[in-house]
Amino acid sequence: MDRKRDYYEDVQIFTSGTIVFWSGVLILLLSIFPFIAKNYYVYVANFMAINVIVVVGLNILVGYTGQISMGHAGFFAIGAYGTIALMTHAHFPFLLALPCAGLVAALLGFLLGLPALRLEGPYLAIATLGFGITATQIIGKIKMFGERQGLHAPDLTIGSWHIETDKDFYFILIPITFFLVLVARNIIKTKVGRAFISIRDADIAASTMGVNLTLYKTLAFAVSAFYAGVGGGLYAFVLRFIEPELFSMFMSVMFLTMVVVGGLGSIMGSVAGACLLGFLDLQLRNILEIPYVGDWIRALSESYFTLTGVSNIQLIVFGLILIIIMLFEPLGIFGIWIRFKKYWMTWPF
Amino acid sequence: MKKYLVYVLTFMTVVVLGLAFNAAAEEGITDTEIHIGQWGPQTGPAAPWGAVARGTDAYFKMINEEGGIHGRKLVHHYFDDGYNPAKTMGGVKQLQEDIGMFAWVSGVGTAPGLAVKDYLMDRKIPWIGPSAGSRHWIEPPNKYLFNTYPLYLGDAQLLCKYAVETLGFKNIAIAYQNDDYGKQGLEGAQKQLAKSGLKLVAEIPVNVADVDMKPHIMKFRNSEAEAVLLFVGPGHVARLQGTGKAMQFEPQWMTSTTCGDIPLMMAITKGGYAGTILASFGMMDPTAVGIGNIEDVNASTHPVLKKYHEEAFKKFAAKEERWGLTFAAGMGYVEPMIEALKNCGRDLTREKLVAEMEKIKDFQGIMGKVSFAPFKANDPSCRIGQTTVFLAQATADAKAKVLTDWVKTEYIPMGK
Repeated sequence: MDRKRDYYEDVQIFTSGTIVFWSGVLILLLSIFPFIAKNYYVYVANFMAINVIVVVGLNILVGYTGQISMGHAGFFAIGAYGTIALMTHAHFPFLLALPCAGLVAALLGFLLGLPALRLEGPYLAIATLGFGITATQIIGKIKMFGERQGLHAPDLTIGSWHIETDKDFYFILIPITFFLVLVARNIIKTKVGRAFISIRDADIAASTMGVNLTLYKTLAFAVSAFYAGVGGGLYAFVLRFIEPELFSMFMSVMFLTMVVVGGLGSIMGSVAGACLLGFLDLQLRNILEIPYVGDWIRALSESYFTLTGVSNIQLIVFGLILIIIMLFEPLGIFGIWIRFKKYWMTWPF
Repeated sequence: MKKYLVYVLTFMTVVVLGLAFNAAAEEGITDTEIHIGQWGPQTGPAAPWGAVARGTDAYFKMINEEGGIHGRKLVHHYFDDGYNPAKTMGGVKQLQEDIGMFAWVSGVGTAPGLAVKDYLMDRKIPWIGPSAGSRHWIEPPNKYLFNTYPLYLGDAQLLCKYAVETLGFKNIAIAYQNDDYGKQGLEGAQKQLAKSGLKLVAEIPVNVADVDMKPHIMKFRNSEAEAVLLFVGPGHVARLQGTGKAMQFEPQWMTSTTCGDIPLMMAITKGGYAGTILASFGMMDPTAVGIGNIEDVNASTHPVLKKYHEEAFKKFAAKEERWGLTFAAGMGYVEPMIEALKNCGRDLTREKLVAEMEKIKDFQGIMGKVSFAPFKANDPSCRIGQTTVFLAQATADAKAKVLTDWVKTEYIPMGK
């Protein structure tokens, strides 16, 4: 069904007119969203967009190259602190500080990629986990970064545009997210992307075919770290205050979970995973307000859990959703989409 | 025709006046309700502090049962942020923009609070009694932000003063958490000791992730410290005291208000906390002799505390809830706001609440005396609130032996 018949079909970013049409509709809807939604939902959308950037980047590493990172919160932190530091100390404008901070994260990603050449599987997971923890510990000791007391983001202006509200920031964030998602999709469709995929599928065979493992493995780390760094820089301005404890191991695990839930090796899956889990992360707090279900959960909680049971139930529901997705669709949301598409394209047979 | 015109004009007048009244009505207030927001971790590593929000909730229910405030009930909206500032920000925005809070109270933690501070202050929404003794709340002061938690600086000053002047120690050391809380303790101790011509003999930072305390104890022992101030969390107090005992180093341990829940501390230190001198921000009556700890309410002569135990805790807390310092603190942080709301009268606005908060002088509930002053942009003292603490010593039967009366502490601005 999705079989490619020639090279040019494989490298197309938009594979059909239908996709172009629906992408246009999506852009239109996203453009009017802040004008019709409450400010809180614009904040949620900003939060989800940042997750999208990081998770798309992480999927390049995990889903396409077959490497693993449990330390992306470290790159995220470097991007956040780097952007603020470049703006306040070097007086860089935001739109320059952001990619520069991303490049710093990319450089560190490249360096982390070097030892990763000799490691794989759980060993690589532990090494990257160590990086994530170390990065925040070091940041917490640097005076310029406010040590453990954190940093406030400076006022944000682009030209004469003073960005104050979530709505203002949305119009910066969404185009950046769109651009980075398109770039990621493009990377995967180039020689570099095919090299990543070949390393994931059979690295020895790829090496025999002339793929430079050292170059492409470290490049995958660098690209992925760049995305995380840019996401971190944007996150600093969504929250307006950052401190080292924010960038915890749990954050790294959450990013990885979004990749897996969305679907390994799928850009659109990453977008869906990041949006779904980002949304649930903020919105499950309101689970008790769902008609009927909320009352039932409250009764269940009061009968079988401790006094903080209602709050813990959010996490239980979160975990249950993950288990159900993984149990019934190991390919994640992307897998569900493929099945759905296949069903309709072959209907009624 | 004229008759109809009168009807139409009357109707229009009512509509216009109604709209005008509606426009003038303060956000978060109806004829019968005042909506108050609060965040606090109910899950995650900071979950023990979740009792603050539950304490406030029981306290508000008690006030409602007594008839509310000038005919209005307090509607308390609190949510679990898991001590994650992104969730704090999300929850605050949702409650503020969906329902509309008249004011915010307490809110556990410096980082979650700092994430939402600008959002609340930019909208001129009062925020009263942040549940952390951070100088960020008062430097610079904000017209709508009232601190009621005594600054950690004051704890360190009083502990050092007591160690030098009463106990006659000269070698004093500190273990401080490597963050805003610990650094305030360090600064307060340094400044206080300098007044007596002394210096800390050891200043050991402790990171939240640190587990092995042997190197810390070795350094303290080498410094021949007679008293060690512990400006760390309860878990690290337990580790330091346990390791100290195992290494036969047992100085006079001293802790801040954050470790003021003596029964809890005795439980997690397996009794090692006995003998520790601690700074306390309230919940006990230091003028009464032989007072017990907060759990021992029957032994308390503190009438307000007794009332809260009977009327709020027993009636409205969940059956698994523990009557402890953290739960009661949730009431103590917001008492001044309730006093101000009562003084506002029926015609309630945010500006009026701020004006009444500024009039509060030497108000005392279950914490120390709280005073505010009219707002001055360059004077943090107008928003400090409580400046007094007292010292107590943990006894072997998990009670408190009060060592001093309330003592006023000196405010030291950041970096001075």
